[in-house]
Amino acid sequence: MTVLEIKDVSIDFPTSRGVVHAVTDVSLSVPQGRRIGFIGESGSGKTTTALAAMRMLAAPGFVSAGEIHLNSLGKTDILKLNEEEMRRVRLRKIAYIPQGAMNSLNPVMRVEHQIWDGIIAHEGAVTQAELQRRSDAALEGVGLDPTIVGRLFPHELSGGMKQRVCIAIGVCLDPDLIIADEPTSALDVITQRHVMQTLREVQAKIGAGLILIGHDMGLMAQSVDDIAVLKKGELVEFGPTRQIIENPRHPYTKELISSVPLVGGESFLDPSAAPKAAGGDSATPLLELKGVSKRYGAVTALHPMSFRLDGAVPQIISIVGQSGSGKSTMGSLMLGFNAPSTGEVLFRGQDVYRQHAAEKLAFRKDVQAVFQDPYACFNPFYRVNHALKFPFERFGLSEGPDHTRAAMEDACRAVGLAPETVLNRYPHQLSGGQRQRLIVARALMLSPKLLIADEPVSMVDASLRATILKNIHDLKDQHGISILYITHDLATAYHVSDFVMVLYKGHVVEAGPPKEVIGDPQHAYTRLLIDSIPWPELDRDWGSADDARAALDKLAEVDRRPDTVYRGSVPGFELSQG
Amino acid sequence: MQTGAAAPETAAPDTAGLTKAQLRRMRRFDNPWRNPKLITGVSILLGIIALGLLGRLFWDMDLVFTGSGMPRQAPVGIENIRGQVGTLAHPLGTDVSGKDILALLIVGAPNSLYVGVLASVIGMSLGIFLGFTAGFVGGRTDDVIRVSSDVMITIPPLLILVVFQAAYGDITLTMMAMLIACFVWQSPTRLIRAQVLSMRESGYVQMARLSGASTGHIMFREMLPNLVPYLFGSFIANVTTSIVTAVGLEVLGLGPQRVPTLGRVIYDAINSGALIQNMWWWWGIPTILLALMFVGLLLINLGLDEVSNPRLRRL
Repeated sequence: MTVLEIKDVSIDFPTSRGVVHAVTDVSLSVPQGRRIGFIGESGSGKTTTALAAMRMLAAPGFVSAGEIHLNSLGKTDILKLNEEEMRRVRLRKIAYIPQGAMNSLNPVMRVEHQIWDGIIAHEGAVTQAELQRRSDAALEGVGLDPTIVGRLFPHELSGGMKQRVCIAIGVCLDPDLIIADEPTSALDVITQRHVMQTLREVQAKIGAGLILIGHDMGLMAQSVDDIAVLKKGELVEFGPTRQIIENPRHPYTKELISSVPLVGGESFLDPSAAPKAAGGDSATPLLELKGVSKRYGAVTALHPMSFRLDGAVPQIISIVGQSGSGKSTMGSLMLGFNAPSTGEVLFRGQDVYRQHAAEKLAFRKDVQAVFQDPYACFNPFYRVNHALKFPFERFGLSEGPDHTRAAMEDACRAVGLAPETVLNRYPHQLSGGQRQRLIVARALMLSPKLLIADEPVSMVDASLRATILKNIHDLKDQHGISILYITHDLATAYHVSDFVMVLYKGHVVEAGPPKEVIGDPQHAYTRLLIDSIPWPELDRDWGSADDARAALDKLAEVDRRPDTVYRGSVPGFELSQG
Repeated sequence: MQTGAAAPETAAPDTAGLTKAQLRRMRRFDNPWRNPKLITGVSILLGIIALGLLGRLFWDMDLVFTGSGMPRQAPVGIENIRGQVGTLAHPLGTDVSGKDILALLIVGAPNSLYVGVLASVIGMSLGIFLGFTAGFVGGRTDDVIRVSSDVMITIPPLLILVVFQAAYGDITLTMMAMLIACFVWQSPTRLIRAQVLSMRESGYVQMARLSGASTGHIMFREMLPNLVPYLFGSFIANVTTSIVTAVGLEVLGLGPQRVPTLGRVIYDAINSGALIQNMWWWWGIPTILLALMFVGLLLINLGLDEVSNPRLRRL
């Protein structure tokens, strides 16, 4: 039985530059109990299509053609319902699980009251005992203890718990269809697995259809039955998951699948390029941390650790961990932005936090960074040239305007951007991928000795990630820059790095060459991280929700005794804990 | 190596099938400065300034003195309480002492605007300086600035000004503006401090620090340009507040004694029983002019809001 049928739907957005056809002629049906994945990059129309079924398109968008039918409404077109009829359809027939659970729950209401709200809005007066019974059942269904969690406020819950509360609200009225809009994009892999498993379980129990919106092919492979691939508002491929993953027809689908890096799989890097030795004496190490720790009040973000990076031969050192593991704190410590609580950070034998102005300028030139958010890194007031030109002139590298210009153009070409398409533009005119590559180009122009790359690709569309990582990798091989790569993504760390440190709650729990640490993890936490990655391979199953729960329990055990597993070392880099 | 780079993956816009009027509206949307509210507001204010400037050329300014015309004359073509019909000699009538209302307005309106703008300029400069210092330096400096601006906000300015003026006696326009400026720096200080605090952590400021930029560069070249829309809005709001405060003082008789201002005209009207004698033009016309001034400032503020925040703009 079909739950939802979308027939030739087109969606238009009138803007100041003309009408944008966000979705064109999409037809699709969702059978009962089946899970459909909508996959595509940002702007592909996947969310827009799903929201049209709830009639919740953001202004000024509207459905310009087509029909949407909901089975339980008979022949009526959803698009022709009036506002009050539509209100009754939402949540009761179609539930929506939002992307940011953090912002979707009401901060001043207890969790169970928020579930009651939905029930009362649709069923009118319900007795208190009945409300309590149903909210308890809904919370239990998502694996939360109703006696404790029901009485809590949203800020008292973790991100994964909040998302599960959102699922509980969504399913409390047994809807025909659940639309989940990237429900786990803000969560780390371990929690992601748990939330997705919960969602699958609940959906199977009430027998609703599920539309899962996302951009991660691996997550789709592990979670849905059918996949719909959207590109620029058109449905380019639709079919059962196995067929799409193993035998994709459309080139765009192939591109999406190949953009997911695999541990142990084929590398997206060119291994033939030989690393060029960096100049400089090898007697003093490039970067040295001596017993560095960082505390914020009572919280210890980073426990004392030391390492020594020679830098004579450029290397990529990866720091891997979940959010809150202290990896970004390490990055800012090394950049001289955030003084350590104990210990010292030495760059070429000099304490980074005890330099006078001239030394500081030299240090700035030699240590550069690529940050996570390419949208925030450009001052919206200036053309993008400003970001490239200013440091170049500031560090005295420029020999005049023509030289600066030529250097900018060369740097753009080196990261695969055509200078005429990006230079002299304002940041908002460029895509996220273009901006991030410009930031890499900026680092290249300054030819620093050390580059700190803090999650450089986590906010960039999947298809561009490999290219940007390749650009960064080239910096090492062709320009002799040592790189500290901070990431939560084990698969990319596996490919680009020479040495990997896994950070958990400010402790290094496992460290060594990537082949050992990620290819054959020994520490419980590393193993858990690897197991939680959704692979785009159907035969490599994710396990059930119980597995995920057991894994989280195991993690709690790790909390009590974090010890480091050393898995061998590489020349030019030494690490010690404590 | 992959060349070229993907433009955003959204489908391209399509302008086919739109009427000319729609296209014109779109272009207007694209150029935020062609905002109807902004244009109306600016024209009203320019009109008032023009009244002040051109009036001096085309009208006799000596008519502001006592006894320069027949007292209690109504505007042109209107009878006063004694049955005299107003003449072109005094198009807007005269007051009880024979001062010409038109001449009073020509001198008074720019004076009121001058006090407002000057007070606001001084207050804003103070606010920008203190807000940046508080947000950027932080620590104890921030505490001092924040607490003192919060305390100043709770003190009613009129109370202090009344005491001050009463003690001082006659003062000049500039002095009054400076006194008022002491009460309009707090809100820009708070606004800029908050913006600076959030901007300090933004990616492009981090990038500038990585580029070895000095504190001055970060403050004035990276942050300030992005604050311009806020500063404009805050400035216009401050001009309004300053004029209201100035007029309030003048109507209480505490403004400059020798210089005509709009508030002073209203004070004289109230004091000489204009309401009982039905001399509505005496207090009514300056009030209308003040109202126009405020409407103009409000429209400019709304227009600037739309310029800096495209989400407020409607297609």
